[in-house]
Amino acid sequence: MKKINSELRKIIVDVVTKSGWGHIPSSFSILEILKVLYFKFLKINPKNPEDINRDYFILSKGHGCVALYTVLNRKGLLSNKDLSNFSKVDAILGEHPDATKIKFVEASCGSLGHGLSFAIGIAYSLKLQKKRNRVVVLVGDGECQEGTVWEAAHIARNKKLDNLILIVDYNKSGEQLLPIDNLNKKWKSFGWKTFVSDGHNESELLHNLKKADKYKNLPKVIIAKTIKGKGVSFIEGHGPWHHKIPNKEEYNKIIQELSDE
Amino acid sequence: MNKDAIRKQFPKTIEEIAIKDKRIFVMVGDISHGIFSNFRKKIKNRYSNLGILEPTMISMSAGMSKTGFIPVVHTIAPFLIERSYEQIKLDFCYHKLPGVIVSVGGAFDYSALGCTHHCYNDLSIMKSFQNTQVFHPASTLEFDILLKKTYKNKYLKYFKIPKVSHDINFKSNDIEPGKSIKIYNGKDLSIFCTGTQLKNAINLRSKLQKDGIKAELIYIHTIKPLDDKSIIRSIRKTKKFVTIEEHSKIGSLGDDIRRLLKDKYYKSLSFTLPDNFIHFYGSYEDICNKIGLNLDNYYTKTIKLFE
Repeated sequence: MKKINSELRKIIVDVVTKSGWGHIPSSFSILEILKVLYFKFLKINPKNPEDINRDYFILSKGHGCVALYTVLNRKGLLSNKDLSNFSKVDAILGEHPDATKIKFVEASCGSLGHGLSFAIGIAYSLKLQKKRNRVVVLVGDGECQEGTVWEAAHIARNKKLDNLILIVDYNKSGEQLLPIDNLNKKWKSFGWKTFVSDGHNESELLHNLKKADKYKNLPKVIIAKTIKGKGVSFIEGHGPWHHKIPNKEEYNKIIQELSDE
Repeated sequence: MNKDAIRKQFPKTIEEIAIKDKRIFVMVGDISHGIFSNFRKKIKNRYSNLGILEPTMISMSAGMSKTGFIPVVHTIAPFLIERSYEQIKLDFCYHKLPGVIVSVGGAFDYSALGCTHHCYNDLSIMKSFQNTQVFHPASTLEFDILLKKTYKNKYLKYFKIPKVSHDINFKSNDIEPGKSIKIYNGKDLSIFCTGTQLKNAINLRSKLQKDGIKAELIYIHTIKPLDDKSIIRSIRKTKKFVTIEEHSKIGSLGDDIRRLLKDKYYKSLSFTLPDNFIHFYGSYEDICNKIGLNLDNYYTKTIKLFE
């Protein structure tokens, strides 16, 4: 499994380096989460992106999209050509996903604090229609500083949206500037059922997703503890790599580290 | 003077629509809950007094639109449009999702509540977004017909409900989305008016007639798409025009009309809100008089176009 993930990380680095655009550390942070969702959890019909029985996934922290594109590509939902055209003028894939252009992407997110509010509308509609589709949203812990996240949290609790699972990519980006004191307790205090998971351990993530899925009457949140830039020592953590494009030497070092894993 | 008549019409019209169309879902932001009591009884499970969180109410309704509902979202204009600007822009317009936004309290309708409750730019904001249609119906019949004819089209519709109706009775057949209504024919001046000020515009036309000036009066309930052809045709005939509206000058109907004329110059005047916060209180009429949205001001300035 580790080998596949290193391979996917290499693809992310290739796509970013070749295009000169993209967020490598944010993509590395959420890779395992996306992989578990798309390969083990979400019900998606590869033949019909609009299948009325599909589960909905919304990447609210849209800047991690290169990881999403890479996983969609591995799942066969996005072509190699589209991936290699990333951020070119006529490409369908850009540095934030455009749902009007990409099949299997439900929402165009980039401005933080929109995805969860949009998702509660979807979850509420599905409830009203007595449908069983699930809605999964991925936000960052930095994004949890946006007020609309908590407006949505409040509504989701009041409307008992138990078809909604939120995953917080807790890579501590937010803590660099405006720490939220005990994120888990915060969500609990908003009436959500909370779970805490290692965000890079796929079996633990899946276990928590399944537990969350079964829990009724409340919206659920999984605080996924992650490392920004996970997998490459000098990219990990918070610093200039957030939106940095590797030069040739750096690229070789990244690939070397990922190959050594 | 018919106050709040259009606002009271809103639940009646939407109830008629919702009985036939199960996709309608009404969301209000802690306002108009009382006038929706019948709706709530009849249309069960398709109404929510969501709470005081306008931006999220907009995003949530966009999500509902994506999943098959036709959301009808309602609260006070400044909070619904200006506070939720980015939610409308991204969650509705960028996604090309349809829906209906209905406001009260545009301009200075909440006259004694002060500037926090004023909204001078809602129409220009909404018309500047992509995939939108913008309506400003100032009588119950206009609201009823325009909503019924547009609610299920592919656009995000904005309906600004003014507090005071202009009290002019149109024929149903005269009301068509995107079409202006010619109230009077004329040859010397075109008067274009939107909203409650129509009554003053009619009086202006009568007063000018006593001076031998025959003005054409065109009423505009659809701000976008604008009835370009009728407007240009009228101005080409009369060579002069006046616009009257309760909206900020920048982004006004007057601006739109000048843009239609491209480089051609015509003598014209625009009566709009001042380019300033309106710090007055009092009634709607008190403020109209304070800021020159009245017959005296219209007449005094318009007559100078003929000097």
